Amino acid sequence: MMSRKMSVRARTFAVAGLAVAAALTLAACAPPGAAPEAPSTAKSGTLKVGFIAPTSGVFAIAGQQMEDGWKFYWDQAKNKAGDITVETTYEDDTGDVNQSLAKAKQLVEQDGVDIVVGPLIANTASAVAAYTFSQGIPNLEPVAASNNLTLSGANDLTVRTSSMGGTQANYPGGEWAATKGKAKTAVTLCSDYSFGWESCAGFKQGFEAKGGEVVKQLWAPNGTTDFSSYVSQLQALNADMIYVATAGGAPGPAFLNAYSSSGGDMDKLLLNCCALDQGTLVSLDKSGNGDKIVGVKSVSYWAEGAEHPATQAFVKKYTEATGTIPGAYIAGGYMTADLVAQVLKQKGLVVGADLVSSITKFKFDDSIFGKVSWEKGNNMVAPVYVREVKRHADGKLYNDVVAEYDNVSQFLGKDPQTVIDRDKSQPYTNSFQG
Amino acid sequence: MSNPLTRATPVVRSATGLIPTLSSRGGGRGTRLFQYLVIAAVVVFFVALPYLGVTKFQIGQTTTILIAAMAAASVSFLVGEAGLASLGHGAIAGTASYGIAWAYKQGWDTGLSILLAIALTLAVSFIYGLLTMRTSGIYFLMVTLAIGMLIYGLAFRMSSVTGGDNGLLLQRPEWINARDNWWIFYYLVLALLIVTTLVLWVVARSPFGASLRGVRDNEGRMRSLGYSVSGYKAAAFMISGFVAGVSGVLGAWNTQSVSPESVNVETSILLIVMVILGGVGTLLGPLVGAAIVILVKFTVSSYVDRWQTLLGIVFIIVILLAREGLVGSVTKLSNRIRRRRARRAAGGGIPEAGASASNVSHT
Amino acid sequence: MLDPVFIAQQALNGLSEAAVFFLLASGLTLVFGLMRIVNMAHGAFYIIGAYVGIAISALTGNLFLALLSAVVVVAVIALITEFGLLRAVRGQELPEVLLTLGIAFVVGDVCLWIFGGNPENLSSRAMPEGGFAIGSASFPWYKILVMAIALVIGIALAIVQNKTRIGAIVRAGVDDRETISAMGINIRWVFTGMFIVGASLAAIGGVLDSGITSILPSGGNEVLLKALVVIIVGGLGSVSGAAVGAVLIGLIDVFAKVWIPELSYFTIFLPMALVLVIKPTGLFGKKS
Repeated sequence: MMSRKMSVRARTFAVAGLAVAAALTLAACAPPGAAPEAPSTAKSGTLKVGFIAPTSGVFAIAGQQMEDGWKFYWDQAKNKAGDITVETTYEDDTGDVNQSLAKAKQLVEQDGVDIVVGPLIANTASAVAAYTFSQGIPNLEPVAASNNLTLSGANDLTVRTSSMGGTQANYPGGEWAATKGKAKTAVTLCSDYSFGWESCAGFKQGFEAKGGEVVKQLWAPNGTTDFSSYVSQLQALNADMIYVATAGGAPGPAFLNAYSSSGGDMDKLLLNCCALDQGTLVSLDKSGNGDKIVGVKSVSYWAEGAEHPATQAFVKKYTEATGTIPGAYIAGGYMTADLVAQVLKQKGLVVGADLVSSITKFKFDDSIFGKVSWEKGNNMVAPVYVREVKRHADGKLYNDVVAEYDNVSQFLGKDPQTVIDRDKSQPYTNSFQG
Repeated sequence: MSNPLTRATPVVRSATGLIPTLSSRGGGRGTRLFQYLVIAAVVVFFVALPYLGVTKFQIGQTTTILIAAMAAASVSFLVGEAGLASLGHGAIAGTASYGIAWAYKQGWDTGLSILLAIALTLAVSFIYGLLTMRTSGIYFLMVTLAIGMLIYGLAFRMSSVTGGDNGLLLQRPEWINARDNWWIFYYLVLALLIVTTLVLWVVARSPFGASLRGVRDNEGRMRSLGYSVSGYKAAAFMISGFVAGVSGVLGAWNTQSVSPESVNVETSILLIVMVILGGVGTLLGPLVGAAIVILVKFTVSSYVDRWQTLLGIVFIIVILLAREGLVGSVTKLSNRIRRRRARRAAGGGIPEAGASASNVSHT
Repeated sequence: MLDPVFIAQQALNGLSEAAVFFLLASGLTLVFGLMRIVNMAHGAFYIIGAYVGIAISALTGNLFLALLSAVVVVAVIALITEFGLLRAVRGQELPEVLLTLGIAFVVGDVCLWIFGGNPENLSSRAMPEGGFAIGSASFPWYKILVMAIALVIGIALAIVQNKTRIGAIVRAGVDDRETISAMGINIRWVFTGMFIVGASLAAIGGVLDSGITSILPSGGNEVLLKALVVIIVGGLGSVSGAAVGAVLIGLIDVFAKVWIPELSYFTIFLPMALVLVIKPTGLFGKKS
């Protein structure tokens, strides 16, 4: 028995050893010639786009809406920008980094796309941006909101086309609160992860720059469903203004329900883009709580009630066609499509670094966001609105504009290199708010 | 290695193995030769793959599958040999990923980074072993789940170290990253998969492995015989954890990023799914299971919107109909055919002594 | 933050959280106690119940009807699940857990497909208005109602378990399955019944919770995790354990958010980890 076991074992080892040796020898030899990649821009006159969004998973609604906005533009334009056909392949990344990267690789290496649009979630956006840059492919980010995408993590081929970093988008809200909002003290409640940290930092800095004082900051972990513990704390602190920043989706309605049913003063609230996006308005109205949030204010780079002609035309067109009033995710997808189309019409079929520079140099005074341009780091410079919920004649809730701050930059008036260095060495956290 | 899923009684209590698997005794020299040929064929296939006109992207996919197979193998080892179904291996592999990414951020050189990653993984595995010492069955599952959640929480909160929810980006070491030598990484992964599988197999066939299976089947008796049950379990965890750690390092190099999702419960669950689909305790099971899950997740999902439903249904079907997993079922089927043939050859009455022995042995 | 009114407010918050936890956990613990299954599809039943309840509440404006319809729909699905799928793997721990996991995958995805990703809430027409004043804030009547329902259900479960024949059968079945079968009682239908009861409790929890928070198709996993934490702390299989565990976790969670906010992510998992290490069977659990 022993000898039989030994010989079996020895034989196994021999086989295995051979296999390993063979593998390593082959590896050391001349490299295999892999089949050539699919050639890019196979048909002349076509721009191949790879679109990645989290259309399932926790962020499904955001991803779906971003995709809907983009699709809506091309459906209306019949996939054409002048003579150029735009062909989009859509992929779902479920909000997971590995999935996102795998899809990006597939789109770039197998499908041979010319540009990648998306994904949405901050860490997926950073990872994909790093990958596409290494492959020489431009990456357009319609709705990613992490500061570092266009600061310390910026690269020459990645553009944040139709959204803002969290700090950039909320700073004017702080300024407004201390001035027109007449608040001397404020408390903040933000989601306890990078988006919440950066948004709160923006509000706090803007508020304190205009003489206000943030008395206390509360941080709610992701996945908080019952906000009543925080609401009680906020009420007890009795500040002039309560700033709340959460991710899109469930937290917005959950917070507002808890706050209003607790007898909270709705006038004190200032929410961020995503806590009071159309999704929140619709879900609260649907459950019969819509009237409770009329008059509630928020700060965002997107306001569906903004009086710009381009904005109104888009909102009207989209609402009539789909029955949904466009929120920030839809607007972001649409605006990026609009931008790409205009650039292609102006410059013809450009790809790679040429496309990126054409985009960042494009003069876009009448976008649906208002007057936008791009700055160092390839970040969008655009208006930020302080909004108020109003019921329109059609019976639906809209975010109307109460104050407009134009040309808001991610550098917020400071020296760009200083801001970039700070972002690299000390990104905002719940203990460091700048 | 036998399959706890097919026993009629809970994992730890069974004394009967039911399926002769790839590494079982019995069945004669013919079976063994056949099994070795299959394995050799698989190895040759993977070695030759880049020469078969496959695209760089597909090699990349295969690399991902091989890395997942390594992690699945570590889980399969723990479930099969020690009877411990762990929902924590995602966290263990992920710890290695974080280790290597953090070391890269600090600018450490490759060798040191690898050492750190493996050391961290072993430490975490040890903690798992320590905290699960007194539990088994469903409670064991829950403890591993809880520890996994805690590690996820730490990855999320300790943002100065781990990058928080943004995670960390890293680069592969120079010698495997040069764009012209993209196939080096593939061969490295393949070689390491073969080596780690061999290591696990050797451990399983060693006296240690036999004692481990004794602990799995009857803790009480082993304890009364003087064996340190917790010691064996902890050791099993460390061995399994080591392999998971290697896969974690390779995984981080593969995607060049790490984030809290790497240590998520979902990752651990997918590993268990891979192991079940392929077949617990089989040599090729983890590979087959990993291939199915990865292909559905990454490739089928491009064509089928409801791929998660698909994965769930496949999973349910496998549990209901083919609990031995694909590889296990194939083996079971082929064994049944062989036995029938042997019975017919032997005059239709007396089953081959080796075959019946293989029915009750559980290696 | 030591003002008594504030503490009273937070205590109420904690108790209403506990009420929801109890509703979620009791179903899960009952199923485990009798059938030794950790039903990973428990969150899925919560979600289905919530969506059905929300739809009916919007249609009728009646909370009772919403609860009833949610329970009926989920009971049917639970019956099909148990009868069609789980019976095939009865008695084997790992396959049962994994099978319910597969079901959870499918249900979550199908819900996304049918209901979309927008957050949904219970219709306000089905909920009582206003609340009672406590300090300068108010505590909504709806949450009082939720706590009352949880209490009633808890008491009902206790009565059934201890004072009725079916309860006696279940208790006996927990301790000794073979004897029950030997007594001629069809244990398989008892199991089915228990599974349906567990799922129904999850559905009730879902409907009631949708008046407090928003429902997403992916919400089932969070819920399952919280329920698991409660039953592990309270003891797998014990309804009184679920009640005590729910109150403990609810209060710890709320007050930790006030006094030790740095640990607020961990407040739910640390008690669980501690219990698992010190007394794995939980506060009220029996040693198996």
